[in-house]
Amino acid sequence: MAEALFDAIVVGSGPAGTFAARELAGRKVLVLDVGYRAPEGPPLAGSLYALRRERRDLFAELIGDGFEGLHNLHRDPVSLKLKSPRTSYVLRGWQALSPLVSTNFQAMMSFAQGGLANAWGAGVYRFNSEELRQFPLPAGELEPYYDELTAHIGVSGGNDDLVEFFGRDPSLQPPMRLSLLAAGILQRYQAARKRFRMRGITLGLPRLAVLTEPHNGRTPYAYDNLEFFQPYNPAIYNPVFTLDPLIASGALELARGWLVTHFRESAGVVEVYARHVETGAQETFRARNLLLGAGTLSTTRIVLASWRDEQARLPVLENPMACIPLFRLSRIGAALDVNDSSLAQLNVVYRDPESGELLQGSLYGTTGPLRSDVLFGFPLTARAALEWSKYLSPAMTLLMMFYPGRREPDNYIRLQGNALLVNYQWRGTGGPERALLRAFRRIGFHGLAALCQYPAAGSSLHYGCTLPMRAAPARYETGADGRLADTANVYVCDGACFSALPAKNLTFTIMANAMRIARGLRRKME
Amino acid sequence: MDRSDQARLDAEVRYLHDAFFSRPLAAEVVDRYIRAVRHCGLDEDRTAEKIVRSRLDAEAVEFALRLRGRGVALTRKIRILFYLVEVRSDYYADFVNETPLFGRALWRLAASLARTAWKLVKGSWLVWRHGFG
Repeated sequence: MAEALFDAIVVGSGPAGTFAARELAGRKVLVLDVGYRAPEGPPLAGSLYALRRERRDLFAELIGDGFEGLHNLHRDPVSLKLKSPRTSYVLRGWQALSPLVSTNFQAMMSFAQGGLANAWGAGVYRFNSEELRQFPLPAGELEPYYDELTAHIGVSGGNDDLVEFFGRDPSLQPPMRLSLLAAGILQRYQAARKRFRMRGITLGLPRLAVLTEPHNGRTPYAYDNLEFFQPYNPAIYNPVFTLDPLIASGALELARGWLVTHFRESAGVVEVYARHVETGAQETFRARNLLLGAGTLSTTRIVLASWRDEQARLPVLENPMACIPLFRLSRIGAALDVNDSSLAQLNVVYRDPESGELLQGSLYGTTGPLRSDVLFGFPLTARAALEWSKYLSPAMTLLMMFYPGRREPDNYIRLQGNALLVNYQWRGTGGPERALLRAFRRIGFHGLAALCQYPAAGSSLHYGCTLPMRAAPARYETGADGRLADTANVYVCDGACFSALPAKNLTFTIMANAMRIARGLRRKME
Repeated sequence: MDRSDQARLDAEVRYLHDAFFSRPLAAEVVDRYIRAVRHCGLDEDRTAEKIVRSRLDAEAVEFALRLRGRGVALTRKIRILFYLVEVRSDYYADFVNETPLFGRALWRLAASLARTAWKLVKGSWLVWRHGFG
């Protein structure tokens, strides 16, 4: 394999790498990836709550013989979705493979096949023309790719008030069943729509890469609440569902276990240097073209290391978050609806009248994680917190709002030795949270500004804009075709090449843009 | 881990469990607690041992220390215990409410607030009296 000259090498197998590779399938293409997979084992059968009630002991499944479920007690906290015994592979070894130094940016990277999309919220959002304004792309350029992706991965949702922000999509599967709380919110919002809209708040059904009907051999969502514990749920789209068949059919080659360190170009050939994560062996792979789709942070490391540049300070953007708990007081002490889902129930879009920025968020149920994950956050004794958690959970929904990424001169990423160094500061005003709390209070859902939480910068896992696309790119920028300035045949196809980071889950646009870049390259090759 | 450490953690988990749950403790939870404490690097902490030796109110001491930003290891040990029992069907009803109980729930929530206030006073006194650092 190392002696071969490939038409293209794609680095990474997450949303970007997978869809770039898919576009190039049939050519001589190699996907280079560390590619960790979930541990083998029989899937959990049934729903989380039925299992917890009926199986005497679920220690191995929910905590793990290696105490994976206790990760946040003794190590840097990670998303609750990424610490169960069967999902912890998503973050396996990332600090050792791509060290990141920061005192104010709590980043995470994935070297699993499928990348961070192994644990995404499955939110599928098209960037509209306002959000693409800073991208050097003609209006509507991404639309055919969005359409094609929707048909490929299957998207459920609705065309409601949010069409204004998400666009109309006639090909959606029916929306997921709403929880009692979410259905109540939507109903009351519809009755008070005018007042909400006057305050810049719009609610509607989320668009999710979650099947509600069979699609391409995959089964619909079973409302089993196992998202935090069970990988590769066939109803929730994962890039491995696309890449695996392409590898199996021979349309692509996958070299697993390789960490790409840097590249070098000479005489129309890109040499890609990689180290095997198990054996430590060094290898050089060769191709006419290189597509970097390893995820924003990894791609940035590869580019900086390739140019051996420890001086350059590149911009980095992420979506800061605010978590707002809301309570329906009449549901206190109600029976927990164990057939709810912990996926997004509703979407909320808020236009901040002060900044004019669009914020977007989702309302989530609380049935996914273990109660022990959250108990000690209450200012109560452990036993009292147990009572509060038990009786308040049926009355509680969590609104997670994302802010758009803002370009700040002091926020940067650079190379320091073999590590990435990130400085990222963000401070919210609390204004949007207070406005949302006021609006929800009017329809009977209460919360307190004091209970709002602001996860550390980096927690959103939405990173981008380190090598932004520009119409006339300079060094450390990319052209509209994704090609990295000062290179002949190196392309960036993940979030690193985004020109802006709106307050939306970016995964769907990463996929669409990677397709666009790879299709352009394919045309060039042909 | 030598036998005395094993015995100390064994006594510790039994004492903590009795402070929060009123049912017999399964031997496998004891074993997992000891391994988990070690895994999380908490086996050197002696706060829980002191509580056990002096038969103190673990709930009150933990809360008083937590509010002061201290006693992190003790809180983590109690969290480990909660994790280990939450995944067992015997404890399902402790964590999940499946019967509508609006009036009773309000009463229990109010009672637990009063309990928290009382435990804070008691815990603060115990922290001062026994010199928990």
